Amino acid sequence: MRRGLDIVMGCVAGGCLLACLTISTGLVWSIARRGWGALSFSFFTEQIALVGASGGILWNLVGTTVLLSTAFLACAPLAVSLALMERVWLRSESMKKALRLGLYTANGLPSIVFGLFGFLVFVQWCGWGKSWLAGGLVLAMSMLPTVTLVVLERMAAIPQRYIAAATGLGLSQSQVAWAVLLKQSWGGLISGSLLGLARAAGETAPIMFTATIFAGVTFPKGVVENPVLTLPYHIFILAQDSFAAGVETKMWGTALVLLGLVFSMSVAALPSRLYLHEESDV
Amino acid sequence: MFENIPCKNIVLETLNLEVQVRERTILQNISLQVASGEILGIIGPSGAGKSTLLRCFNRLSELTPGLRVRGEVRLMGSSIYAPELDVNVLRARVGMLFQEPVVFPVDIRENVLFGARRLRKLSKGEQDELVESKLREVALWEEVRDRLKQPAAKLSVGQQQRLCLARTLAVRPEVLLMDEPTSALDPRSTSAIEELLLEMKSRHSIVLVTHNLRQARQIFDRVAVVCLRNGVGQIVEQGESAAVFNAPSAPEFRDYLGQASGM
Ligand SMILES: Nc1ncnc2c1ncn2[C@@H]1O[C@H](COP(=O)(O)OP(=O)(O)OP(=O)(O)O)[C@@H](O)[C@H]1O
Ligand SMILES: [Mg+2]
Repeated sequence: MRRGLDIVMGCVAGGCLLACLTISTGLVWSIARRGWGALSFSFFTEQIALVGASGGILWNLVGTTVLLSTAFLACAPLAVSLALMERVWLRSESMKKALRLGLYTANGLPSIVFGLFGFLVFVQWCGWGKSWLAGGLVLAMSMLPTVTLVVLERMAAIPQRYIAAATGLGLSQSQVAWAVLLKQSWGGLISGSLLGLARAAGETAPIMFTATIFAGVTFPKGVVENPVLTLPYHIFILAQDSFAAGVETKMWGTALVLLGLVFSMSVAALPSRLYLHEESDV
Repeated sequence: MFENIPCKNIVLETLNLEVQVRERTILQNISLQVASGEILGIIGPSGAGKSTLLRCFNRLSELTPGLRVRGEVRLMGSSIYAPELDVNVLRARVGMLFQEPVVFPVDIRENVLFGARRLRKLSKGEQDELVESKLREVALWEEVRDRLKQPAAKLSVGQQQRLCLARTLAVRPEVLLMDEPTSALDPRSTSAIEELLLEMKSRHSIVLVTHNLRQARQIFDRVAVVCLRNGVGQIVEQGESAAVFNAPSAPEFRDYLGQASGM
């Protein structure tokens, strides 16, 4: 009876795994098959030409990198402070619950809501217009809940004995926060950020009216009215009028590059996750 | 009930200490004194509140939510609850060693320096010197001198406990609190620690909790017996170690001795 159930469960789990693998390889395969032809050295080093029908995606790659770096730099310190606040300085259980609930809720918010907020605050109220900084901050907000939750999860897994031992040596609360909590949840920040960035890299809606345009700019030289080109918006525009075969290949090529970017970030998040689990067993 | 220790400096003392968790009283009427240069032993059955008591001496009890401590604890004559007292300084002065060695996931050298280099400024040379002198003090130097950069977790449990002792000594405590420091160790590591305690007690007062009766008889100078009476932990007997062990008077303590030696 017990064995039979085990076998059934095994089969179900195996089936699910197979389905996942089939769908994801199918997805990668269909994009790769169509986009492979577009990839060449010049695709990465040339700028856009003929409304996307020719040239490459150099500045789109650069723009996406600018947005992601900004998002990371803005998000990381905030996520760490929020997590530390929950762990160390929030005393009452109900406040902690409220913070967690808020994070989970914000995690479920559609990214376009963050985009609208960014549009109102940065683009209009701050008067930045479409700007890489506005887009970076919007992406930072949209990934903040994910990153904070991953860091929190990592901090919660730090055994209490480390905190007791460090406190017992006479370290102050902030020294304990730095030497124990932060030191041992570093990997959580990195892997959480990579996961958040992998998702942010493909976000189109929130940056559409805050940060990105289709053509005509290179590296931003200031903040106000300094938009960037991005990979997802490039795909979005090309997909809307991809009648010419050349345009279509370029679009799939861009999608393939974006996929590669996202995939490599997710893979990069792996070792730090595995490594830190090892460490916390010590 | 108050026993005075003549001709000796009192380093740490408690007066009518009482500990509650929410509505429940765990410890009450605890009055004891630790003189300089001696090992005060605390002994008693499981759940009597020995660990809780120890954590009151350096206010580590404050890490436990819901724990309330009343009464007085004095270090060198002044209250550890005085408002002008910095609790972090107190914890450095009253060091603690736990039942399971707690080594941080860094290398051996960093473990020794973990507290010290954050509490005071140390040049590279001073750090090296401190690491060597403290590791020598706990008789670990010869064993680890050529692998200071290796993760401390690779050491044996006995070595880890000595490393923790070195780390605590590096912040220059006046009193050492030890909660069953040898219960996770094999006999050889245990006697290594015991030798260290006897050797160290001239420099630091020590409060030692143990379940090991042989250890208690051998190295306690004085002993406070904490037992449950009416469901609350209290000191049922205290005095010179030899006198208390040879002629136990409290019935709770006799029961405990009977059970412990019957095991
Ligand atoms: N945080 C807490 N919340 C509730 N009760 C607690 C807490 N900490 C300790 N206690 C209770 O206090 C009593 C004393 O516990 P303590 O760990 O101090 O005993 P002990 O004498 O050290 O026992 P052992 O010899 O097993 O280590 C126990 O009954 C325990 O249940
Ligand atoms: Mg205990």
